[in-house]
Amino acid sequence: MSDEEHHFDSKADAGASKTYPQQAGTIRKNGYIVIKGRACKVVEVSTSKTGKHGHAKCHFVGIDIFNNKKLEDIVPSSHNCDVPHVTRTDYQLIDISEDGFLSLLTENGNTKDDLKLPTDETLLAQIKDGFAEGKDLVVTVMSAMGEEQICALKDIGPK
Amino acid sequence: MQGFPGPLPDLAQLQSTMVAIERACSLIQMHMNPAEAEKIINPLRQSSMPYQTCRFILENSEVPNARFQAAGAIGDAAIREWGMLTNENRKSLILFCLHYVMEHASAADAYVQLKVSAVAAQLVKRGWFDFIEAEKIGILIEVKQAILGFQGSDMQSAGISFLESLVSEFSPGTSTGMGLPKDYHEQCHSSMELNYLKEFYCWAKSAALNVADKIVSCYANISEEKVCSRALRFMFQVLNWNFKSSPSALDNSSSKSNSGSFGIRPDMGLLKKFERSLLEPGPLWHDALLSSGHMLWLLNFYAIVRQKHSSDMLWFDSPLAVSARQLIVQLCSLTGTIFPSDDGEMHIKHLTQILSAVIEWVEPPNIISGALRSGRSESEMIDGFHALLSMATLTSTMLFDNLLRSLRPFGTIHLLATLTCEVVQTYVIKNDDEQTWSSEALDIMLEIWTVILGRSGNDMKISAEGISSASNLFSTIVESHLKAAAESAFEDDSEADYFHVSVSRRDETLYAYALIARAAVETTVPFLTRLFSERFALLSQNNERMDPTQTLEELYWLLLITGHVLTDSGEGETVLVPEAIQDGFSGVTEELQHPVIVLSWSIISFAKQSLDPKMRNAYFSPRLMEAVIWFLARWVDTYLMPIDAAKGQLGISGHDEGLQQHPQSSKKVLLSFAGQHSQGETILDTIIRISMTTLTSYPGENELQALTCWKLLVVLVRRRHVCIHLVALESWRDLARAFANERTLFSLNARLQRSLAETLVCAASSFKDLETSNQYVRDLMGPMTAYLVDISSRNDLKAVAQQADAIYMVSCLLERLRGASRATQPRTQKSIFEMGCAVMNSLLTLLELYKNQGEVAFLSAKETSILVNFCLQLLRIYSSHNIGKISLSLSTSLQSEAQTEKYKDLRALLQLLTNICSKDLVDFSSFSNDAESTDIAEVIYVGLHIVTPLISLELLKYPKLSCDYFALISHLLEVYPEKVAQLNKEAFDHIVRTLDFGVCHQDVDIVDKCLRAVNALASYHYKEKIAGKEGLGAKALSSEESNGEFQQSILSYFLRLLIQLLLYQDFRMELAGSAADALFPLVLCEQDLYQRLVQEILEKQSNPAIKTRLASAFYALTSTNQLSSSLDRNNRFRFRKNLQVFLIEVSGFMRII
Repeated sequence: MSDEEHHFDSKADAGASKTYPQQAGTIRKNGYIVIKGRACKVVEVSTSKTGKHGHAKCHFVGIDIFNNKKLEDIVPSSHNCDVPHVTRTDYQLIDISEDGFLSLLTENGNTKDDLKLPTDETLLAQIKDGFAEGKDLVVTVMSAMGEEQICALKDIGPK
Repeated sequence: MQGFPGPLPDLAQLQSTMVAIERACSLIQMHMNPAEAEKIINPLRQSSMPYQTCRFILENSEVPNARFQAAGAIGDAAIREWGMLTNENRKSLILFCLHYVMEHASAADAYVQLKVSAVAAQLVKRGWFDFIEAEKIGILIEVKQAILGFQGSDMQSAGISFLESLVSEFSPGTSTGMGLPKDYHEQCHSSMELNYLKEFYCWAKSAALNVADKIVSCYANISEEKVCSRALRFMFQVLNWNFKSSPSALDNSSSKSNSGSFGIRPDMGLLKKFERSLLEPGPLWHDALLSSGHMLWLLNFYAIVRQKHSSDMLWFDSPLAVSARQLIVQLCSLTGTIFPSDDGEMHIKHLTQILSAVIEWVEPPNIISGALRSGRSESEMIDGFHALLSMATLTSTMLFDNLLRSLRPFGTIHLLATLTCEVVQTYVIKNDDEQTWSSEALDIMLEIWTVILGRSGNDMKISAEGISSASNLFSTIVESHLKAAAESAFEDDSEADYFHVSVSRRDETLYAYALIARAAVETTVPFLTRLFSERFALLSQNNERMDPTQTLEELYWLLLITGHVLTDSGEGETVLVPEAIQDGFSGVTEELQHPVIVLSWSIISFAKQSLDPKMRNAYFSPRLMEAVIWFLARWVDTYLMPIDAAKGQLGISGHDEGLQQHPQSSKKVLLSFAGQHSQGETILDTIIRISMTTLTSYPGENELQALTCWKLLVVLVRRRHVCIHLVALESWRDLARAFANERTLFSLNARLQRSLAETLVCAASSFKDLETSNQYVRDLMGPMTAYLVDISSRNDLKAVAQQADAIYMVSCLLERLRGASRATQPRTQKSIFEMGCAVMNSLLTLLELYKNQGEVAFLSAKETSILVNFCLQLLRIYSSHNIGKISLSLSTSLQSEAQTEKYKDLRALLQLLTNICSKDLVDFSSFSNDAESTDIAEVIYVGLHIVTPLISLELLKYPKLSCDYFALISHLLEVYPEKVAQLNKEAFDHIVRTLDFGVCHQDVDIVDKCLRAVNALASYHYKEKIAGKEGLGAKALSSEESNGEFQQSILSYFLRLLIQLLLYQDFRMELAGSAADALFPLVLCEQDLYQRLVQEILEKQSNPAIKTRLASAFYALTSTNQLSSSLDRNNRFRFRKNLQVFLIEVSGFMRII
């Protein structure tokens, strides 16, 4: 297990690495994968062979986690694919500025002001309405490969 | 017509209704506004006494659809209002329908006539026990007149079609429910069988005889031919009747005991595969079917007509030909007490008679298949095969073979082999879509072979001629398949799920082939060896210039067939060397000469080649390797250190002492060559190293690795004496070391890692010493737990844990832990429990952390539940403590989860609770340790408090979740009603609300569970009250709420709800039992309210006739059948009966608008 540990540490230190190589055959449905430079959620995996006695190939269908576009890729199942690091962080919503930027409270007390309102209409409406009603809102920000987007909303208002 | 029910409306009104209905029908037909049309038609069906109107429409409307609807309305209304019609009314309705059919026998739009005759059949059945015998005969006599042909052939057809509807109405499978209990249908079924069925058959027979002469001499008109084919079809339908009265179950034993003497065997259920059944009508039918020369007439009739149409290729599919053949084939499966007990003489005569006719349909095989290729219909040949299958099922193999000898110089098996050769050759070519018949034909052929060769003992003895036919057939099969394999080698394997869908079908085919091969082992095994070595040699000589793909595909196929020949699949059973192979080769005493051993060795040494990287890259494609692994798995299970040899006693103890020396010694050689003291260990070592290779050198080949983990390795650890050798091997230790300490095996699919862990831990049981076993497991799993603990205690856990590699790693490790815990055995429980304890805390941390990652969270929830189950099973002392902790912490993470994950987790949690409940029951039975069991009940109590607020009515719309939830609730209420009574008001109300929701649910299962829960609740309350205790206490009483609103008690609420359900809604009869169980205690608890409710319902009813009926029905419900007011089993049973009667009486007319 020692070399794992080592590997693991170096990852944590590097921090900047946005992806991680993983064998195509082990990527499952609902996992993540990078297709054409975009971070995707895998919605379909199927395998096929090149001729009866050839090697297996994996056929992935992924949905871009930021813009919901469908992407496809075929990879020999023994090859490595890039798997994005997808993180979700919760922030409390402080303010919505007029130009559509949000002001968020981070865990260590600073503010984060570089996020725009989401484009998804229901979510957008919920945030705006909820904020207008003075609810205490916590937004979940999903980030991968240097991109960020709000993906969920929670009302933590007084019970 | 006399006695026709219903008031007669005036003509104008009838006219206008008819026009409205006609318009609605044409709307439906043009697909315009069907909802609107239904609004017009439905009132007709549901109104009270619509008969006159319907009759008017039937007699006058020009629109066939309107007539169809009117007929349906008569049926619906009469069934509903049956109780209110007089006998006169009923009869006149039936006669009206019958006459209508007869009078319009030649009219167009036959579907209207069919519907009317189906309605008549329904009504006859509804009144079957209301009419006296003479009345029934009065109705049927008219049908008989018509069928016998005094009024022309159209009337004959109409009569037969009425009988068809009648018979199908009386068969349980095709009858309409009519809101009657199962009993009623069964009584009708047996009454029909005893009194009328044979008579009907004879009517149809004479109808057929009537016109047959004309058909034979070729001056029959179309409608006469139609009568004949319909009569034959009806006879076939009658013979498909599920005969109950024949006492076959009783004398089964006696007929079995003499089956040896003359070769007729009663084999039930073997024909099921092709949806046919054996025909056992009993001795009463002897004169109708056997002694009257009926069979001979039928066979001759078909032969003559066939002769006349021999040049007409389409004739074989004509209705007359098809129904005649169907009847012949059905008669072929005739068996049971209809034959006198004359040592099967008559039965054999019967079969020979049919065979002499049927053989014309299938012989000579090459001419027939040639004719089929040039476009003749295959239906006759297929029917011939079905007839052969029936014969094979009913006779011993020897008798089956001999049946043909009186007609031909060879036996039936020889004929069968030639036929199969022909079919297989056509089947493997499969070059166009027109030859689809070959696959169906092959199916039947192989089923016949499976039937005659799959038996054991005396029933399966084959002549020398039969053996050589089988041997020839097998050569043909193998050669044609090899040719097909070579040709298909370059095709793209486009079906990705090929492996899962068609594999069982392919196995079935190969199994049948293997049976054929085993019938002639002496020649077929050496034949396989030769083919295999030829191809193996071809590969080793190959100097890389030639593309080996064709040879690889041939080898692939050879491995599959050899595996099937040498071994049985043994799903769930101890696998033995197939009998034919054990007993064959009686002359062989030298190990190296035994054909099976030679074949085995050549395959093992071939497999060994895959260890050489150069050979592997050049020849061992993933697909070939799959076959190798599959073969090895089956071979190991059968031949490696077999149980018989391990025990040191050879053969089965039942074998005679007096057997010859030779077969014994050849068997001994076979069983011991891979034994513990022979080459067994070397082979084992080779196999482990091959498995290692597939796991590490075929990255990403999931199917291959799955086969290795799930089939081969699992087999290795299944038997303990093999494990003992296994754990001593260096190669096995290498595998374990790689698993515990190296990264390579992490590239396997996570589920495979789980199974690998299970397998490795399983092997621990073989150590003699307890401490060594535990140490072995510790070495294996220690690194995993250490890593998990390590990762969960990191400071920067939050950041690291979200990285993809960490997630992957954690889920792999959890899968491994799951695998290991599944392999727990008493002797390793200590170390497994250590493992569980070690990770418990880290799991909780991880669970908190991964609450947003659906996959991992779900996994760990499952993992904990499995772990907890093991703890419960093994270490009851610790169990309750752990569960309490886990349930609580699970829920905190639950509360913040998204809907879908919540759904999944809730399910896991519910299953966990249900599991605990059922485990708890086990505890009760084995140990009556009071202190501990109350603890567990406490846990469930706490768990329920946690779960109930989380379940919302929204969530209950997910079918699986609601199913689990209601299973839990009804179980809880039945087992621990006292705990539920202690729940706080909010939680209790919640449960009641969900039950309310559940009772009105669509799903029968859920309603059933809810009714059980209500039953438990009410029974508990009633029993407690009788015992003078509080029962449900305040919850059961009506109370004045603080805001002044009157709150109904829950029991009275449910009482009201149930009665509402039973009376006014479309209640399903299958729930009547549980509804009765729930209603009874409720009525007992709330006597006063029940009386009030009954009064209310009666007063609401305006029609005095209905009112009195209802009143008496209610009276009967509670007062008949010696019902008393205790809740014992007898009383419940009586109440069930009463309620059923009540429902039949009342439910029909309560729903009239």
